[in-house]
Amino acid sequence: MSEPVATTAVVERLWQAVSDGDEHGAARVVHDALAEGTSEEALLLDVIAPVQERVGVEWAADRITVAQEHAATAINERVIASLAHRPDSRRNTGHRGRVVVSCVDGEWHALPARLVAEVLTLHGWRVDYLGAQTPTPHLVAHLHLTNPAAVLLSGSLPTHLPTAHATITACQAIGVPVLAGGRAFGPGGRYAKKLRADRWAADARAAVAVLDQGIPRPDTSAIRHAVDDLPHLADQEYTWVARSRPQLVKQTLVDLEGRFPAMRTYSDAQLERTAEDIAHTVDFLTTALYVDDPGLFAGFLTWTADILTARNVPAHSLLSGLDVLAGQLHDFPRTLKTIELGSTALSEYAVRPVPGARA
Amino acid sequence: MLVVDRHGRLVRANDAARPILPGAASGVRLHEQVPAWLADAHQQIVETAPPSTVTRALRGNIGDRFFEAHPTVGADGDVMWWLVDDTDRRLAETALSDVRRRSEVLSAVSSTLLSTLNVPRCMEVAAAMAAEHLAEAAVLVAPPQGRRCPLTFARQGAPVVQTTRQVDVAGVPGLAEALQGFPPVPARWINPADIPDWVLPEGFAGPIGSVIVAPLPGHGVPAGALILLRSSTEQAFTEGEEVFARLFAARAGAALSAARLYTEQATITATLMQDLLPPALHRVHGVEYAGSYRASRDHERVGGDFYDVHPGTGPSQETLVVLGDVAGKGLDAAVMTGKIRNTLHALLPLAENHEHVLNLLNGALLTSRHARFATLVLASVRRRADRVRLRLTSAGHMPPLIVRNDGAVEEAATKGTLVGALPAVAARTVETELAPGETCLLYTDGITEARGGPLVDELFGEERLKRALAECVRMPAEAVVERVQMIAAQWLSGGRHDDMAVVAISAPKAGAPTVADGQGGGRPGRSRSSE
Amino acid sequence: MSSLPPTEFSLTVRCEATTLTVLIGGELDHETSDELLSEVSEQLSAGHPPFRDVHLDFGKMTFIDSSGLTALLMIHRRTSAIGAGLHLDNRPPTLERMLQLTNVLDHLTTPPTRTGDQRAEEDDGAGVT
Repeated sequence: MSEPVATTAVVERLWQAVSDGDEHGAARVVHDALAEGTSEEALLLDVIAPVQERVGVEWAADRITVAQEHAATAINERVIASLAHRPDSRRNTGHRGRVVVSCVDGEWHALPARLVAEVLTLHGWRVDYLGAQTPTPHLVAHLHLTNPAAVLLSGSLPTHLPTAHATITACQAIGVPVLAGGRAFGPGGRYAKKLRADRWAADARAAVAVLDQGIPRPDTSAIRHAVDDLPHLADQEYTWVARSRPQLVKQTLVDLEGRFPAMRTYSDAQLERTAEDIAHTVDFLTTALYVDDPGLFAGFLTWTADILTARNVPAHSLLSGLDVLAGQLHDFPRTLKTIELGSTALSEYAVRPVPGARA
Repeated sequence: MLVVDRHGRLVRANDAARPILPGAASGVRLHEQVPAWLADAHQQIVETAPPSTVTRALRGNIGDRFFEAHPTVGADGDVMWWLVDDTDRRLAETALSDVRRRSEVLSAVSSTLLSTLNVPRCMEVAAAMAAEHLAEAAVLVAPPQGRRCPLTFARQGAPVVQTTRQVDVAGVPGLAEALQGFPPVPARWINPADIPDWVLPEGFAGPIGSVIVAPLPGHGVPAGALILLRSSTEQAFTEGEEVFARLFAARAGAALSAARLYTEQATITATLMQDLLPPALHRVHGVEYAGSYRASRDHERVGGDFYDVHPGTGPSQETLVVLGDVAGKGLDAAVMTGKIRNTLHALLPLAENHEHVLNLLNGALLTSRHARFATLVLASVRRRADRVRLRLTSAGHMPPLIVRNDGAVEEAATKGTLVGALPAVAARTVETELAPGETCLLYTDGITEARGGPLVDELFGEERLKRALAECVRMPAEAVVERVQMIAAQWLSGGRHDDMAVVAISAPKAGAPTVADGQGGGRPGRSRSSE
Repeated sequence: MSSLPPTEFSLTVRCEATTLTVLIGGELDHETSDELLSEVSEQLSAGHPPFRDVHLDFGKMTFIDSSGLTALLMIHRRTSAIGAGLHLDNRPPTLERMLQLTNVLDHLTTPPTRTGDQRAEEDDGAGVT
């Protein structure tokens, strides 16, 4: 932040190394910048974080492969580890108190949480980093044992929001406040608010500031059900659509085959990909129903349109899929409205030349 | 009944009124005999022209009794006052609202205390609630740990302070008894002047007026004691409050004992599990290793899957990699993984001959009591120039998969008998080489038997795993492991699953030394701490 | 999530002279395999005259996991102890694969030594420590 020109150049050099799969080069870029006086925090948040962001953008635009994406992430992880473990690293006095950093169960984008954990450590917090794929019961057991000042819950994919909600409620029920962060919680943290997280932070620096102010303990005698926070769940549309996912996917496949006879010549692998795409669409639809925000679904659709366009797949196939899906859901007004708004957004959407970041 | 004339002089009092107003002789002035509320009301009635009865209810104390007063104005201007004794109803109502308030407090106390299983937090909450609902200040004294006692101080409107100090327990009347589980000493027996200074929370505006020392009954053994304090400017604790304090202490004691029990169990489990958890893997002797373990949600963090990397004593020596899966689930399976890992560690010097090692392991595991078995893969790894030589042996396990640089995914042609159930085992070892950038993947059937997919309830299967690996050409070991776990997780999409373990062995790409050969390459999750 | 309830586990036992047949239906896993083992063990100890052949019929079995295989290995110890032959009938492909992979098919189905098999099996069974 204080050295924008310098960091821009470092970002560019790190990106080059990372996208080439050059781990040694990546480490050299970062450690050289450190030696030249860039702070560790700036390296984490103004160099590594933007490079990781770019990894997602480049994948979405089909300019790097899945393999390169994973390799780049692995290199970034290693570079972070090498920063944390260098002998002269001045960290972890832990005098600020103890916090837990965890990803929402099922989330595998661990890097944002990792960055937050490192930055909090630099700020004197004792951090228990539980990483990705931590089942919620394990998180809760950990909280019972350690009684931290807060849980920082990181989520990147919105489809994990119902799980995130259960996790938030579980932490609060034992008196530990939750600070939510990550792209899953929506623009301005709107879903964090809906799911009654105690606080939301836009990024690692904001998280530091929130913790500096302190978060009061939640009232444990006011234990809630999901429907207390989200009264619209009482219409059962979320429940029904989520539970019918397999049937919806199957039926949509069958109906699409009826419309597009070419699909009958698909290989098993191709059919499975199509089924996965439909399943993904249903997952975002159910999430939109859960948080009652059709915009979430529309956002997913336009993002997918970008991804498809970048891979020279006609995006209008999405509209047919929605049409078929709507045909199976005519008894559910809120669901239909969500699909309808999604279709409208999709047909009005002018595909951008450079697709946006990964959701 | 009293009759009072318009000048405020008493005309007559009936028999029932006389005991209440002993000085009520006729002719005395009313305001000298009754409290102001009644005298004023009389004044107000007679000043109204024409004198009329007030409609608002008149209530108040006369002596220590409580009355409703109903005036009737006579034709001569005298007022007849009917006094109705309401003391008992009033007492009953107060008692009822006290009971209601107390049961609300107790219910709030229970739900708040039971929400946490963390001992310090539980003490903090108990002390804070006691200060809020029962006294001006509260001190929770936990049973001594060695010579020192954990102390929790709470004062109304101030933050809770927790400390562990050596204090003179016997110096507080009733405290030593309470900590030993003897019946409580009544509050009226405790002289506030005897309370030593260490009991006073910081900022407590003394001197102390009254004290309750309540034992916290635990699961058979005392969970501590609660000292409640009021300053001398406040009303002393009543007997009712003392009873209530004991009810409160009973709930706090139960919650505290549950938390203590949970913590002890969890600490024991964590200690035992420390050795059972899979290790963090990193680069050894120029070969990259990465591993990942995802425990089934149905059980604890450890289960039947395991892996280890035993580095060779030098770069020219083979490193032994083990990955396996014990039949069955839960702690029994986890204990057997511990036995296998230890046995293999001891057999390392014999690792040149995998089949021999497997037979020795088999012998060590055999028992007549059950036929619990394990399947595993042994991989002996050594780097030669920029290539990595592998000797691979499957003991009843899925053969390792090798990701070649041309995108081919090969199954290692090794086969052998499971260990731990049969009198003898046989196994065929194969040798192969990894070129720079190539990876050998060991995995457990939690991956291939993951049920899910877009159509639900389909097995992930080996074919899908091979397809996924074909996309992992030239990826570093960590990225391959992450990719495989991620695809399996997507396939499950939140469904139930068995343990899933994956280990990747990679030959580093040419000219790509890594950041840190050793501790630097930690995988996330390594700093998982348990206290 | 699945709307299809899994087939319920079931055991059907048939005793004919010296032959015991057990039909296994549904999923043979960590929740059900103990039931199979104790059923077969009871039949074996009650068998009068002793069974010479034990048939496990997997025609209606929908799933088997490692606990299921553990039960089969235990049953084999019991049948060997009384000199009975174990027969694994109507094996579905998943069971076949599991037996191949773990290399125990021969062990489980080789007739006991009384039929003149030369393999050293004397130390198998309950005597192993």
